[in-house]
Amino acid sequence: MSSLRTDKLLVGVLFLAIGLGPACAHHKGVVAPEPQSGSEAEKPAPQPPGGGTTTVTPEPRINAAENPESGISTRELPASLEEINKAGFVKDAFFDTDKSDLRPDARDVLAADASWLKDHPTVKFLVEGHCDERNTEEYNLALGWRRANAVKAYLESLGVGADRISTISYGEEKPFATCHDESCWWQNRRAHFLITAR
Amino acid sequence: MREGLKFGAACLIGALSALGASGQEEVYLKVTSPGLSRVMIAMADIPSRPGTDPTAAGTLLATLRKDLDETAVIGLVSQENALLVVVDPNNPTLTRQRWRSVGAQFLLDGTIASAGNQLVLEARLWDLTSGEVAYSRRFQGTVNLAATMGHTLANELVHLFTGRPGPFLSRIAFVSDRSGAKELWVMRWDGSDPQQLTSHRSIALSPAWSPDGQWLAFTSFLRGSPQLFVFRPTEGYLKVLSSLPGVNSSPSFSPDGKLVAFAAGEGGETDIYVVPADSGTPERLTHSRAISTQPAWSPSGRQIVFTSSVGGSPQLYVMDAEGTNVRRLTFEDKYADEAAWSPDGVKIAYTALVDDRFQIAILDLRTNARSIIPGPGNNESPCWSPDGTVLAFVSNRTGAKQIFITDQVGRPRQITTEGNNIQPSWVALVQ
Repeated sequence: MSSLRTDKLLVGVLFLAIGLGPACAHHKGVVAPEPQSGSEAEKPAPQPPGGGTTTVTPEPRINAAENPESGISTRELPASLEEINKAGFVKDAFFDTDKSDLRPDARDVLAADASWLKDHPTVKFLVEGHCDERNTEEYNLALGWRRANAVKAYLESLGVGADRISTISYGEEKPFATCHDESCWWQNRRAHFLITAR
Repeated sequence: MREGLKFGAACLIGALSALGASGQEEVYLKVTSPGLSRVMIAMADIPSRPGTDPTAAGTLLATLRKDLDETAVIGLVSQENALLVVVDPNNPTLTRQRWRSVGAQFLLDGTIASAGNQLVLEARLWDLTSGEVAYSRRFQGTVNLAATMGHTLANELVHLFTGRPGPFLSRIAFVSDRSGAKELWVMRWDGSDPQQLTSHRSIALSPAWSPDGQWLAFTSFLRGSPQLFVFRPTEGYLKVLSSLPGVNSSPSFSPDGKLVAFAAGEGGETDIYVVPADSGTPERLTHSRAISTQPAWSPSGRQIVFTSSVGGSPQLYVMDAEGTNVRRLTFEDKYADEAAWSPDGVKIAYTALVDDRFQIAILDLRTNARSIIPGPGNNESPCWSPDGTVLAFVSNRTGAKQIFITDQVGRPRQITTEGNNIQPSWVALVQ
């Protein structure tokens, strides 16, 4: 229950961090990988605009969360699961419409995920299968279940222990983006990672 | 909240069965062509005896008139036309002729009386062609059941003309997010009197009534992963029926109420299972590597229709209730899902993808002809009324997902407005 809420919060924060741009403008109708994290890591701290007004500074917590680790890291993980999940160490895999087989870009992402996971062998995680809204609720629940388990099987084949991986399907019940066209749909056809033990 | 659940229907069950037992009525089924013409009834002035509670009498008559106005099988002669008829007490033949001249085939008359907290309705239905009484009943109950009495008489009249129970005491269970989370709700067949059944603040999905209206099976994420629950609305009693790996979704009660078919499976698979409704070990019925989901029993209990993607796209298949003799039913649509078997067993309503929109389709099993109930927007989750005359379905034609009712030629009426409302399941009576 609380994990569901946390996840929802997380999703919101994640989108704030990534920026809304890729969802709606840049990648309309195209299956887009997530933006590279490096550029955001180097982003300078926001400057107050000129003039006499006092500007409220941006929330430091979001900036802190935006400090992503790309790929393998030897650094210590943040203390809380919430922080770990905000940091987005493990990237989501995206799917074609009505499909649960892994696209080449999803395999690439999952290969990077697998190596990070193998570098952090104590981490346990949940793979959530998600769908866009276009099938019936029940069918999407089954489709999301296939997606989550396809990701689990692939990670296992790359050497991630099965005992570390749980799966769940949310079907179309917890969309990441809520508009009613492809600019949102592609974001909702995904396997999303939630780290449950560090 | 549980105290707030008042199913007035329960109070009248005794009365209903007593009425059904007398069995002197003739079924006027042949009078109508399904979906096209209606039996036209005129409601005469039904007077109240002196001393009758005027509010109760008004409620009873208004309820009756509204019900009869809304059924697909009965048409009511308009009040303006009824007022044109001059009743000649000394010449019943002439009076009948006058009623017929305003379009009536039957005339409903009677009287209302009340004494203390008791309300009595005596009703008669006259066949205006033969001049004989086609139906006669006396209803008695407490004054606060005036509306229920109106619904009961309307049910009796629908039963008279169709041989099937009327919808007026029936309830539709559904899923609504109007409280902020997807919860189970129940309402009357016309959308009135909505009541929230769960407050789990989780995700509730696919409610399905037991045939006797005692239980609702549904899927919930209440404990993390989706599980199959059964719930008794009148008592608020909830228990887990399946926690198999997988989706535990889309339950359907067998017609005898003893088994629940549903979908679940390990390792990404989803197959059809059955489990005893009073709990037990689920038995797997399908064994394919594709998705099999959304089972629905035939009214005879001998077959189960379900959705499978074994041929590539989701299509409807039917199998014997033991899981044998699987064969494909739909071929015309790119996508077919959410099958619902009509109560008479001869049709299957389902959700079809037509020109990139979901539409309600009806497959006639006698002819294999498939028809579409056309409508704007996306239309899905068809569900038959217990009498089989109309369908409830979900459409986003007005924006959010809302529940509509339509007859089989497509005259829809929206019955929900607040939030998103999906996955209707309809039962004749809640017990």
